[in-house]
Amino acid sequence: MRAATAPAGQRVDVPGMLWTLIRTDFKSRYHGTLGGFVWALLKPALMFVVLMSVFSLIFASTPNYRLNLIVGLFLWEFFVEATKTGLISLHAKAFLLTKARFPPWVLVVASLSNAVITLAVFALTFLAYLVAIGQAPGALEVALSLLYLVLFFLVVTGFSLGSSVLFLRYRDLNQVWEVITQAGFFIAPIIYPLDIIPERYHIYLYLWPPTPVIQFSRAVLVDGGIPTLKAHLLLVAVAAVVFTAGAALFRAYSPSAAEHL
Amino acid sequence: MNVIEARELAKSFWIPSAKRETIREHVIHFYRRRSFERLDVLRSVSLDVRAGETLGIMGRNGSGKSTLLKILCGIYRADRGTLIVRSPVTPILELGLGWNPELDGVDNVLLIGTAMGLSLRQARRSLDEILAFAGLERFAGMPLKHYSSGMAARLAYSVAFKAVRDVLVLDEVFAVGDQEFRARCEARYRELSAQGHTVVLVSHEPRIVSAFCTRAVLLEGGTIVKEGSGEDVVRDYAERMAAAS
Repeated sequence: MRAATAPAGQRVDVPGMLWTLIRTDFKSRYHGTLGGFVWALLKPALMFVVLMSVFSLIFASTPNYRLNLIVGLFLWEFFVEATKTGLISLHAKAFLLTKARFPPWVLVVASLSNAVITLAVFALTFLAYLVAIGQAPGALEVALSLLYLVLFFLVVTGFSLGSSVLFLRYRDLNQVWEVITQAGFFIAPIIYPLDIIPERYHIYLYLWPPTPVIQFSRAVLVDGGIPTLKAHLLLVAVAAVVFTAGAALFRAYSPSAAEHL
Repeated sequence: MNVIEARELAKSFWIPSAKRETIREHVIHFYRRRSFERLDVLRSVSLDVRAGETLGIMGRNGSGKSTLLKILCGIYRADRGTLIVRSPVTPILELGLGWNPELDGVDNVLLIGTAMGLSLRQARRSLDEILAFAGLERFAGMPLKHYSSGMAARLAYSVAFKAVRDVLVLDEVFAVGDQEFRARCEARYRELSAQGHTVVLVSHEPRIVSAFCTRAVLLEGGTIVKEGSGEDVVRDYAERMAAAS
């Protein structure tokens, strides 16, 4: 006989729990002080100022390159930070998973909050800078860059859902992922322009999710162009595949997550 | 009406001859075969829990009590059998362990409270009451890492008793804290029982099962070997323990 369980509706205030997890994660990371809170918000803005100052000296003759470099670095940083914390999110909250019944995806989504806050502060700082130097993007460009961020978030969420349940079975998955992201930094055209790679290889580079997000964001915010519809469809397809695969893994393995803790 | 109906629940764990928890171990030992020993924690457990009653579960260590409770709460999945739970369940299991040690008492209450089913608003509104029940008002702002294990357990039980849904599942709940706190827990339990809450209670303590349980079952080797009134099951449990020693 197969196991058939029908637990009654467990009433959990999901938004309330999500908010509490995000707030307490943020608080433990910055020790709950006002200075810590200010620092969390200032850090990405200060990083932007530092990188702009350094790159302005090194790449004085190529202003777009330094802006593209900064866009690439911040989007990459979001990807690495979010996937790193998402991967260990279930394990990190084992004390909740083994004692209460609630939708476990809440833990995974909440773990991405810090990376999202950092990226949001950077995006606002970057937009303010573009306005200040007279390169303010139009409404369509801003909307498109927001769309790219949403799709990037879907990619990161899908990866985190899938990897968080696999991490409970393979405890060195985070180390393997660290190596992959080290290599991935050079697969994504962050420090080099994509043009130096022969065009026939571009399609492969675009399959690495950070590549299209970085390239498209640069196109609409810095270079003043809009990628083709086909390119957008490719990005949507990559995000949909990663999210669906991650969600399917999570759906299959999360019901037994507590047994591996 | 039965709020819980379990039929022939079974749960096994597979114990490998060599542990492989990393990708590295899987790759290095790819060609080395492993054997697995099956540990049948629950063989075939069928029980009904009626609305408003207190069902006691007794049994020696390793008899499957905690696994059964985790299955009833939806934390573990049974391998076989059917389980129907008709009302929301509040589990109070090994609560003294865990928590986030970096956060203070208030934040831990909000975190555990929302995970156990309180809305954030209810958790905030109940903060003073929860801290007062645990007798920890003065330590509300102190990080949990500075609490003693008894203090952390008291706080956990206070949250759980506030977050009670229709069915309460308790694992050795009256074994926590000092005598005064235990008396407070017992009083709260009586209050909840009088309000019509259904309770499933695991305890090794004969007095608890005799005094609180309308019915009880005795688990041994993953099956129910005795079912009856609290006193009957306590007597049987005591005889088996005496025979074994």
